[in-house]
Amino acid sequence: MERFPIGMILLMIVAVLIYFGLAQRILDRMRLTDKAALVIVAAIFLGSFINIPIPFANIEGSINVGGAIVPIGVAVYVLSRAGTSKEVVRTLFAIAATAGTVYLFNSFVLAADPWQTGRDIIDPLYIYPIVAGTIAYIVGRSRRGAFIAATLGVLILDIVNFSVLLATGIRGTVAVGGGGAFDVIVLSGLFAVLLAEVVGETLERIQGGPRTEGRSRELIKGLQDIESPTPARKPTENNDVIEDKNDNEPLEMEGEEKHEK
Amino acid sequence: MKSRLIVIAAAVCLFLTISISPSGLSAGFLEEFDFHSSAYEPFEIYNEDNELLSVMARVVQVGDELIAFDDKHYRIDRVEGRKAFAVYVGKHDIEPMKLPMVSSLPAQREGAGNNVIAIYHTHSDESYVPSDGTESIPGSGGIFDVGEVFTQALEEQGFTVIHDLRAHEPRDAQAYNRSRRTAVELLKQGPSVLIDVHRDGIPDPEFYREKISGMHATQIRLVVGRQNQNMESNLDFAKHIKAAGNEIHPGIVREIFMAQGNYNQDLTPRAILIEVGTYTNTKEEAKAGAKLFAEIMPAVMGVTPGVPGPPDQGSDWRTVFWILVLTVIGVGGFLVISTGSWEGAVNKAKQFVTKEWANYIGFKKKSRKGNNNKEE
Repeated sequence: MERFPIGMILLMIVAVLIYFGLAQRILDRMRLTDKAALVIVAAIFLGSFINIPIPFANIEGSINVGGAIVPIGVAVYVLSRAGTSKEVVRTLFAIAATAGTVYLFNSFVLAADPWQTGRDIIDPLYIYPIVAGTIAYIVGRSRRGAFIAATLGVLILDIVNFSVLLATGIRGTVAVGGGGAFDVIVLSGLFAVLLAEVVGETLERIQGGPRTEGRSRELIKGLQDIESPTPARKPTENNDVIEDKNDNEPLEMEGEEKHEK
Repeated sequence: MKSRLIVIAAAVCLFLTISISPSGLSAGFLEEFDFHSSAYEPFEIYNEDNELLSVMARVVQVGDELIAFDDKHYRIDRVEGRKAFAVYVGKHDIEPMKLPMVSSLPAQREGAGNNVIAIYHTHSDESYVPSDGTESIPGSGGIFDVGEVFTQALEEQGFTVIHDLRAHEPRDAQAYNRSRRTAVELLKQGPSVLIDVHRDGIPDPEFYREKISGMHATQIRLVVGRQNQNMESNLDFAKHIKAAGNEIHPGIVREIFMAQGNYNQDLTPRAILIEVGTYTNTKEEAKAGAKLFAEIMPAVMGVTPGVPGPPDQGSDWRTVFWILVLTVIGVGGFLVISTGSWEGAVNKAKQFVTKEWANYIGFKKKSRKGNNNKEE
């Protein structure tokens, strides 16, 4: 280890710190508390070191705790907190749409060999989070919906790959979430929420504030505070978080854009 | 709402039809998406004097860079069909290294055992037609044999080597996402360097064929991905490899290509992709190339007696600087968008370092001054 130059160590530390810091802030946007978001980030980080091997026939299978079990667990937990079966159904549709789009994108749009056939603009590593995040956000219409759909949608690619290897008998590896905190599953989930946040905030800014028509009085009251220098969701004197007032409400309300403030 | 549901339902049906149909998954699927190098006409890169600099199976795009065999640095200026034209931007800036004479016999290098080198193969099907009979053997390509020779040669130099034999089939756009998991797994074992060993896809075997230090071997191309934050550090590392190659086994490193893509090089600032010959070379030539390449690694890693330290850290510090600058710009931009004003962004940032963290240590920040909250 003494052979690692200080600059290289610092570079890795800075990159990891910024990544985890960003991840914590993103998870925080899903109406999780700061502490819960921090615990999840810690679980993803520590869980990255735990691989559960699941060898099966010609496939070297495994599932990583930090890269798969924790984000999937968070997705399932958040989904279970959806208030109505309608919201659950819509999120399930979002998952299927994400999985389908990513799969079709992978099969028909991206080059069979990245950077060899001229259809690539961005590396596939980044394509999956972007495509999954976009579809998940459009269909899921909420930060939480986007996270669930992107995470589970990309996971389905592994299941498809498992089926392909099983059907063909070709030696292969299906290390679900094996990239740990840097796995495409985690990246997709985080990017989906980030996209919901940035796009949502930007759209609201362009239209001059959040839409109020047809919304509940309580929500509108919260929304109106967005123009104040201290946004409504920031902690108040008694440490209450206004955004959390909606915590017990369904994952999303009918016809509502999901950038409640 | 109804139309959206119909679209979603159609997408789900299509997806399920393709994914659960065994015929859709088996031979037909792989045949359709299997990569045949010879199906693609390679790209040719020319300099301003219309001299051929290099030939690539990969797509060459404007902005890609090449450090050619003579250490001249070019940037792709325009691409017309399969021809790319590069402009000269200067000789690359690595100082000639003070390398010791290399013994013809492999020697145990001082300190080499402390350095772990990890090797894996993203494209585990890659093979050499003259030796393997085909260019692609899914799951167990001839590239594993080249990797094994490379491993043994590195071990002879005293390095600790982890050669990962996992396959990443099928060969599709997801291959690097799958091998990423292997790369992360390898990085947990603390390697100093992560090497993804490939072979190229250009048809002409003569492009890589060379007599190097008396051996008939293939040359090696280094590929540095441009789409990651470690690009500068990895490029610096590649330049050191080329400089060491020039000194110890001149010709072994043919060139460095800075290509679009990531190639899992975001994971560590000491990651490199190497192409050991092409599919029309013999595997024996490729093995010889890998062996010669292994012999320059002690100098690259700074473990050869008399050679000062590992690669220059300047690029690492510059990368740290740029990551921090980009983070500040990104976060600042988002704050301005979300609050609608510069003032709002500053307020939000202030709030982040005061109230935001209050509940982490289990207590609420009591305001000593009555107007504390008003200020924030």
